[in-house]
Amino acid sequence: MRWRNAWIVMRKDLDEFKKQKLVIGSIIAMPIVLGVVLPLVMFVPMVTMVPLERPWDVHGLLEIGILPDDTRAPWTNQTMENISLSSTVISHKILKNTHLNNCIILSCVLDNTTVVDSTIQNSSLSSSFLNNVTVIRSEGTGLDGRYVLAVSSNLAFTKTKPSDIDQVLPMMFNMVLMIFIIVPATLPTIIATYSIVGEKNNRSLEPLLATPTTDGELLAGKIFSAFIPSMGSTLLAFTLGIVLLDVVLIPKVAYPLLPNLTWILSILLLAPTACLMSVLACVLVSSKVSDVRAAQQLGGFIVMPVVVLTLGVLSGFIFLSPVMIFIFSGLYGGIDLGLFYFARAIFNRETILTQWT
Amino acid sequence: MIVCEGLTKTFGSITAIQDFTVEIPDGRIFGLLGPNGAGKTTTMRMLSCLIQPTAGSAHIDSYEIGKKEDAQKIRGMIGLLPEVPGLYETLGAYKNLDYYAQLYGIPKTQREESIKTTLTNLGLWDRRNEPVGGFSKGMKQKIAIARALIHNPKYIFLDEPTASLDPAAAKMVREYILELKSQGDTILINTHNLSEAERICDTVALVKNRTVKIGNPKELARGLFARTISITMQKIPPSLLNDISSLDFVSQAQVNGNQLVLNVRNPEEDNPRVVSWLMKQGLQIQFVTEEEHSLEDVYLKLIEEGGR
Repeated sequence: MRWRNAWIVMRKDLDEFKKQKLVIGSIIAMPIVLGVVLPLVMFVPMVTMVPLERPWDVHGLLEIGILPDDTRAPWTNQTMENISLSSTVISHKILKNTHLNNCIILSCVLDNTTVVDSTIQNSSLSSSFLNNVTVIRSEGTGLDGRYVLAVSSNLAFTKTKPSDIDQVLPMMFNMVLMIFIIVPATLPTIIATYSIVGEKNNRSLEPLLATPTTDGELLAGKIFSAFIPSMGSTLLAFTLGIVLLDVVLIPKVAYPLLPNLTWILSILLLAPTACLMSVLACVLVSSKVSDVRAAQQLGGFIVMPVVVLTLGVLSGFIFLSPVMIFIFSGLYGGIDLGLFYFARAIFNRETILTQWT
Repeated sequence: MIVCEGLTKTFGSITAIQDFTVEIPDGRIFGLLGPNGAGKTTTMRMLSCLIQPTAGSAHIDSYEIGKKEDAQKIRGMIGLLPEVPGLYETLGAYKNLDYYAQLYGIPKTQREESIKTTLTNLGLWDRRNEPVGGFSKGMKQKIAIARALIHNPKYIFLDEPTASLDPAAAKMVREYILELKSQGDTILINTHNLSEAERICDTVALVKNRTVKIGNPKELARGLFARTISITMQKIPPSLLNDISSLDFVSQAQVNGNQLVLNVRNPEEDNPRVVSWLMKQGLQIQFVTEEEHSLEDVYLKLIEEGGR
């Protein structure tokens, strides 16, 4: 396989494709409308409706002591048990994934700090100063983070219900994420059918097949020419969507929620395998039809596995966790492999010239 | 040299071409003539390594048609003009040619120079970026021929190169083909344009799903038809037809107005004898001409016989 030849085929296809202004417009607009505009329409009202809370704003309740400024404390991603913390200043920090168990917090300052995804259990806080502290999705001996119950020489936490926003966000994120799986599985039906059925209609395959380019190089070029713009426009919308969602949600959750592991795995594994599945399906469909619209309609059927996943997620039957992403990516990858060998078998010169017309 | 021995291709129960045997020496123009569906395009496609022969063998130089490891070498040696130009209509002439030049692995500077020369010769350099979809049929055909020649192939396969062209464009393409021949290229042409084949081909093969006849267009006519001479006289007496038919070197005679049309075995020897005999009869001869049979006559006769 000479990848250079596949690259040449792809570049020519993209050159041709660039002339189709309407198609290009739809390829760029579709992921942006579905993956950026639509989620913002969903999230903005939610954010504006849920009141902003700063439950740990307890400035001035404690006696202020003179304490050394120790900002070296390794608070993030730490689990501390049976220790005593004293004379520690934490100012303008985000403490994430920090777990304290059976600890005594003595003469500490926690100033303009956010505690996220952390637990504090069976611990006491005394002679300490807490100023403008926000706690999110954290638990202690029942701390959920929204409500600090009391600040006293012995701080106790009581479990409360998760906030509305905490309950709704994962579901909504899953729905938005599915858009970034469906879109790359749909876009190739527009591009791949043009690049193959277009060549058939144009009768340009015969001189192309008479060049020393191999069947595999031509097939690879056709696959790239549909895969790269589809994934490119999806990634563009994905990046834009993440940035805008974070901008909208940060006032509520205090730190950027996206991209998280699920989203990263989805865009790196699930979206490309779904996209490839669609591209290969279009190659197969294009060999049997001579009309671009018919190819696009038939190509839509082949993304059924993506539709199944979408329905599962929307109905709440499937929750897109990293494990689930690996499972579906493996499944799609297997289908891709099968489709590739099938496409490879039918994408040979004699079949193309004698049966593709 | 192209050598085919018993080349056969069937599609299911349909035989496209059977037992095609021919030798095409380098530097010659070889024409494949036949009606639609005679197997001309199939033969060309087999020789271009686009489809596999069902039986028989063919070699281009030392490479064998149908052998997977030789296919790429053969494709690099040939330039194919298919029946339809098959250009990318939304792209300009430059990009159309550049795409193929890249696929043939021509270095950038060389292909830029080559494309510029070609398009300048075709008078298209100033319009190189205009979509070729807006060009005339003749112009598209010229670009398609230029595309087939972009890598300077040793063997050029042209499938109906002047089909659907106007007479001026067809003439230009024919002249271009003859120019290629003068450069030593070997050219295989599929056509059912008989006058074109007669004008440019050194050898023709008449095919109708099998080889009907191979030879030089003129020799084919001579081998098939008795040679006819036409003698124009001031006046032809009514008894002349009977008298001249009795001569042993005249195989057939007829009178058309003031023309006496005779079939003789060997005009070089027999014509002086006929003229001398007529003059002895006191007849005044105005013109003596040999009637030549065209390739069209040969084609129609042979294809008709081949179809039986």
